[in-house]
Amino acid sequence: MGLGGTQEFGRYTDMEVQGSKREFEHPKFALPVDSEHKATEFRLYSIAAPHMRAFHLSWISFFSCFVSTFAAPPLIPIIRDNLNLTATDIGNAGIASVSGAVFARIAMGSACDLFGPRLASASLILLTAPAVYFTSIANSPVSFLLVRFFTGFSLATFVSTQFWMSSMFSSPVVGTANGFAGGWGNLGGGATQLIMPLVFGVIRDIGATKFTAWRISFFIPALFQTLSAFAILIFGKDLPDGNFSGLHKSGDKQKDKFSKVFYHAITNYRGWILALTYGYCFGVELTIDNIIAEYFYDKFNLKLHTAGIIAASFGLANIFSRPAGGFISDAMAKTFGMRGRLWSLWVVQTLGGVFCIILGQVDSLTASIAVMIIFSVFVQAACGLTFGIVPFVSRRSLGVISGMTGGGGNVGAVLTQLIFFKGSKYSKETGITLMGIMIICCTLPMMLIYFPQWGGMFFGPSKQVATEEDYYLSEWNSKEKEKGLHQASLKFADNSRSEIGRKVMSATTTPDEIPSTNV
Amino acid sequence: MASSASGLLLASLLLSCLIHACYGDILFSSLQRTLQVTTSTRQGVLEAGEDKVNVTWGLNQTLSSGIDSAYKTVKLKLCFAPISQKDRAWRKTVDLLKKDKTCTFKIVERPYDKAVQTIDWTIERDVPTGSYFVRVYAFNAEGHEVAYGQSTDDRKTTNFFDIQAISGRHASLDIASVCFSAFSVVSLFGFFYNEKRKARNAQQK
Repeated sequence: MGLGGTQEFGRYTDMEVQGSKREFEHPKFALPVDSEHKATEFRLYSIAAPHMRAFHLSWISFFSCFVSTFAAPPLIPIIRDNLNLTATDIGNAGIASVSGAVFARIAMGSACDLFGPRLASASLILLTAPAVYFTSIANSPVSFLLVRFFTGFSLATFVSTQFWMSSMFSSPVVGTANGFAGGWGNLGGGATQLIMPLVFGVIRDIGATKFTAWRISFFIPALFQTLSAFAILIFGKDLPDGNFSGLHKSGDKQKDKFSKVFYHAITNYRGWILALTYGYCFGVELTIDNIIAEYFYDKFNLKLHTAGIIAASFGLANIFSRPAGGFISDAMAKTFGMRGRLWSLWVVQTLGGVFCIILGQVDSLTASIAVMIIFSVFVQAACGLTFGIVPFVSRRSLGVISGMTGGGGNVGAVLTQLIFFKGSKYSKETGITLMGIMIICCTLPMMLIYFPQWGGMFFGPSKQVATEEDYYLSEWNSKEKEKGLHQASLKFADNSRSEIGRKVMSATTTPDEIPSTNV
Repeated sequence: MASSASGLLLASLLLSCLIHACYGDILFSSLQRTLQVTTSTRQGVLEAGEDKVNVTWGLNQTLSSGIDSAYKTVKLKLCFAPISQKDRAWRKTVDLLKKDKTCTFKIVERPYDKAVQTIDWTIERDVPTGSYFVRVYAFNAEGHEVAYGQSTDDRKTTNFFDIQAISGRHASLDIASVCFSAFSVVSLFGFFYNEKRKARNAQQK
């Protein structure tokens, strides 16, 4: 492994030789892969198994869950008359729709660690589909709240998406893969604001009355959800080499203990900090999804249809802004390593807070739309940037860490809606401005994140010898290491060495070494 | 002195109302209540789509004649009682008629007739559950509201009738929901069983 001598980064002198072996063509895989068989390239237009196929399966199924969870808001004007809802009922249902996923996401993280993303996500999707079907037969404020609550659990598929991408794609492209999968899934929240009114209109024109047409409409997202789960089960694979169950049986993958996995996740402070900061990019995004149509409708007296289109454009920006965040994370990491990932997340998310404050202050329609779009780009890019960092926080407990961060996102959504957008304490404009201030404050803790082997925002890597192996193997005790349970983490540590950043690495190259061409 | 000042105030108020009216910004408070409206329904809560509301309206005979010279058409509207507007900002009463959401359901539109009119209206299937009264607006030739009448008093405290909306549910929808839900869950376990079976077969080989 070449744990170099007293020189600060002496161990990297071996890297140039190893670097060229870091990715290679493998006969079984269409894309170049690393030693864990994770793809080192991300090719959007390919559907080659297993890597790109996993990508398309995961984003489409996550998209369907978003469509289902936010299928009700665009039809609220009809539903509220049918079910005799008050503004309080509607607000409570909105909070319920995002609160279920708080714990579901953590549970999903554990399930991914233990059973694999394929079974975990397909199970959740099929078990929450009944909630969407039952929305068609809701007949009171209570039943409406319950179906929105249980449908919202499906947003936990976000965690399996990120886990799956982190299992299929290598460090240099993991941010990009996570960003596209998360962003294109989040798109569902915007697409549904266009899809549901369209479906409703068609069904009503065929001849159904309003109060029946909206009910029939819900079968569309429900069926889409069911079918996407089938596709995952039939076409998906947990890891490039196969499914968890197959690999467990053949001995290639060790089955892990839930208590250990959970322990190593909750004792890692970085997971908690990222959970907090994610609440102020993704959580804010969910809150805006729930309130922005009404904001534009009331403030500028727009038609509901027009307000809906503006609301949709907020969610639709995800098609490029979240992937852009992931891409920026990977690009910064190439030169500056993990420190670049941390800095770019802090800058982008803080700017998101600034634009949120401005959104609450502007008074004209054009300015509001323009600021909202800029705000959406920054906030969604911050989400993508967050999941450029999450895959590196833990290897053994990747699922639970992803789940904690994801769950933290939903906690942020619940909190911001409760504090700023429930009842009449603040006008919506004031609420938005205050939310922007809270974003800036709650992004500051990022400065506390420190990786001994790579550094943090203000400090470089540890002066003592601290390697990737030290960090990732600290999650296993000696007994487990004797049994060889830590092999996957060992491989990951090796593959993650690029996170030190080319700038630091080139500073340690001696003149006789071959300059590294690819990390 | 005082009378001329108040006369001036009144004149300017009327003028501003007129200007508003010219620009379509008609305030409800500027309308005169010249029509008399009465409603009659059967006892109990009415069912949307089935029950009828009988509305009778006409000019208040005690007023001076000629007051209705500008009236060209009348629109009958179903309006929410205050209790059905509570905690529902989308049904708010606002003085500016363009923005007012009190009366969102149109019953009928007819040309104005000096004689007393009546209509037996079947409640439409898209009327939500709530307490209601009926208001009649009189329009002039430009299509602006100029007068009104309503079946409740000025402070909207009396004489409401309750409507129960249709549920919109059908037995076929209920059955479809349950069947598809059951299918989702059962197929999940089917997949699990299949996986276990395949893994067992692979091990046996």
